[in-house]
Amino acid sequence: MRRPLAFAIVVGVAYAARTLGDGGSPLRGTGLALGFALIAAALAGTFFERVGLPRLSGYLVFGLACGPYLGDIISRSMARQLQLANGLAIALIAFVAGLELNLARLRPRLRAIAGLSFVTLGFLYAGLLVTCWALWPWLPIAPEATGAARVALAALLATVAASFSPTVTIAVIAESRARGPLSELVLAVVVLADLVLIFLFTLVMQAVRWVLGEAPAGDVSLLARLTWEILGSLAFGAALGAVFAVYLRYVGREITVVLLGLCAVLSAAGGWLHFEPLLAALAAGLVVENVAPPRGDALKEAVERGGLPVLVVFFVAAGTSLQIDALGVTGGAVCLLLALARAALLREGTRLGARRAGLDPALGALAWMGLVSQAGVTLGLTVLVAVEFPEWGEPLQALVVVLSALHVLAGPILFRMALSRAGEVGQMDAGERPSAAPA
Amino acid sequence: MSRADEPYREAGVDALDAQLPAAETLPRLAGLVRPLRTRAALGLDAAPAPALLFVPVGFLLGPRALGALSEDALAFLDVVVSVGLAALGIFIGLALDLRHGGGRRLLAAASAEALVTLGVVAGAMLFLIGRWQMPLDVSPVVAALVLGVCAAASSASAARRDSDPVQPLATRIADLDDVLPLVLGAYALGLLRIPDPAGAAWLAAATAAAGLAVGMAGWLLFEEASGPAERGVFVLGAVALLGGSAAYVGQSALFAGMVAGLAWKVSPGRADRIIRGDLRRIQHPLVVLLLLVAGASLAPSRAALWLFAPLVLFRLAGKLLGGWAASRVFPGRATPADLGAYLIPPGVIGIGFALAFNQFDPSPTGAAILTATTLASLAGELLAVVSLAELRRS
Repeated sequence: MRRPLAFAIVVGVAYAARTLGDGGSPLRGTGLALGFALIAAALAGTFFERVGLPRLSGYLVFGLACGPYLGDIISRSMARQLQLANGLAIALIAFVAGLELNLARLRPRLRAIAGLSFVTLGFLYAGLLVTCWALWPWLPIAPEATGAARVALAALLATVAASFSPTVTIAVIAESRARGPLSELVLAVVVLADLVLIFLFTLVMQAVRWVLGEAPAGDVSLLARLTWEILGSLAFGAALGAVFAVYLRYVGREITVVLLGLCAVLSAAGGWLHFEPLLAALAAGLVVENVAPPRGDALKEAVERGGLPVLVVFFVAAGTSLQIDALGVTGGAVCLLLALARAALLREGTRLGARRAGLDPALGALAWMGLVSQAGVTLGLTVLVAVEFPEWGEPLQALVVVLSALHVLAGPILFRMALSRAGEVGQMDAGERPSAAPA
Repeated sequence: MSRADEPYREAGVDALDAQLPAAETLPRLAGLVRPLRTRAALGLDAAPAPALLFVPVGFLLGPRALGALSEDALAFLDVVVSVGLAALGIFIGLALDLRHGGGRRLLAAASAEALVTLGVVAGAMLFLIGRWQMPLDVSPVVAALVLGVCAAASSASAARRDSDPVQPLATRIADLDDVLPLVLGAYALGLLRIPDPAGAAWLAAATAAAGLAVGMAGWLLFEEASGPAERGVFVLGAVALLGGSAAYVGQSALFAGMVAGLAWKVSPGRADRIIRGDLRRIQHPLVVLLLLVAGASLAPSRAALWLFAPLVLFRLAGKLLGGWAASRVFPGRATPADLGAYLIPPGVIGIGFALAFNQFDPSPTGAAILTATTLASLAGELLAVVSLAELRRS
């Protein structure tokens, strides 16, 4: 009874403040949104957990319910301000993901993981390409496109629709305190497949330009830019990770402040140097884990325990940005069809991949459930399309936003279910890993 | 004095430091690494007079010097300032103990001292503003009241603990002499938004009600949390909600925090100890950040200069008179002059309130009040160093 009462009080305070105040400058609502989101969303997350759903789905649904598109307790401007914290949150989440990737532990299964990733991705991509091409006349993007243009545009949509969400994957693992073969496998597949998809995206964008006659043959500016972004991000993150590992090893003081500073630099570098904060932070975490393993493990444990406020704010902000009113405009039925096709392709792709890679079939049967989520990477790619080709890029962006909304709502629930079936939920606290699946 | 009664001076060990294996020694670089291993080197430990260090550093980093803290960055930091002020307000509320006669007497003494200082400064400034016919963007009464509130706060933490028997009493009075000014400060901010006395009082009362409501929500949740991680979310959320809701309605986050702190202090259970323990970890970084922002926001102007000199002078006079008033509550425990001298260091609450005022009144007057208050605080810290040295010698 204490929690519902506290929830009602917090909602009342936020509502009263919204009614009494004018907010002044747009930034003044940030503290209100932050405080309200932290307490009320955490309570909503607890409620979700009690009914067997992931807590972060509770944060998302709370953000959606209180956000500007439904309840409007968190206004549009407050939601925008909440998203300012996203850069830091993504860097922290990705840093923890890097800490999860212990190369010595993964080495024996690297080949199998790579095999599963490529087969799954190939199957998914091919299937989505065919589906998008077949559905093209009903998609509200550029239904008049035919021939090579239709193939190129369908390939672009398939690339974006195939992408995954390392952030959500990591967050579900952290929140479920999960550890074991399935968590490691899904995380590795998501990261590897997204890297491949980002490269593929650059190639497909170039193909679209050629087909639409908007770029001379041989123009590889986007490819060069994205190569700089990916390799530069990895190198930058690895360098910062090495410095942080040395700091941990020889200084080891005020680690909270220094870690937050590191994440702020990794996040800000995205703006200054056109690096991808997610990749840079992942590389930093990977270096720390593999250069200073005992401290990396302890740091991971500590950050995962203390990083809950970051997760809450990140997913509430994501929830507030879910434009469910766009469903009617872009054709909810088509989105649902695409989402179902993607899920079915993922399921068959991982089964096939697991068989080819010699992985435990039980693991292959569950892995697809961890690959459903979509969020930041997907939306980031659509922004690039919308900016360069506003005429048909913006409708494509609207469609993908709705598709991602469906996936980000369903994905964590499915992944949590899979982790639970694999017996990996809570294994971080148990301090022992379940017996590894036989290869 | 119990550890729980010392709200302003200690910041616990960083939570992550305690959980990680100890750092290794590197003999060749020991000299280089050792300074980095101290908390004070990173600005995370209590310093005797932090304003003297961090305000000038903030000015150097600010838009009028190096520009590392730009106007845009300062606007973003407004959020952190509000949350930081709420946290400081919570400490003030937690320091209030109205359940025992001793606590009530201390509050009476502190309030008498604060009221005298506030009255002297506000009265003098109101007179001077009228006499000089200073052009202001707000009512002279509001400006004088705000300057009085900023001047009334003290911090006796600059004094050494082992000095003399007056010091513990001065410390407790300094902890509590912010209470009455914060109530009047909330009223002054109310007047800024609603220039009608009843409306301003209603807005201040609404802020108190919000503080009480968040206090109740925290009391319901802190002990109910499933673990330290969830409790951390509730604590951080409560502080952000206090600061954020007050800032959203143009009210004092310090006041809202103080009311919530008091609610936790008087409520049954461990809510007060939980929030004190969790906030201690971030108290000093927040103080440092407030001072850096205050330094970066300094906008030297003729109006600021005009306000600065009388503010220093009348605050000093007010504190000495206030020390006399407080000593009447505890006859024989301290001489008025000694008590007054201990209460000269201004601490950060006055600067914090001026920062809040500048947030809600970003006119040249708001900037002049912030600049004058911050510079007067630096002068107050320097005066305190001199007067306390003199006191120890005698």
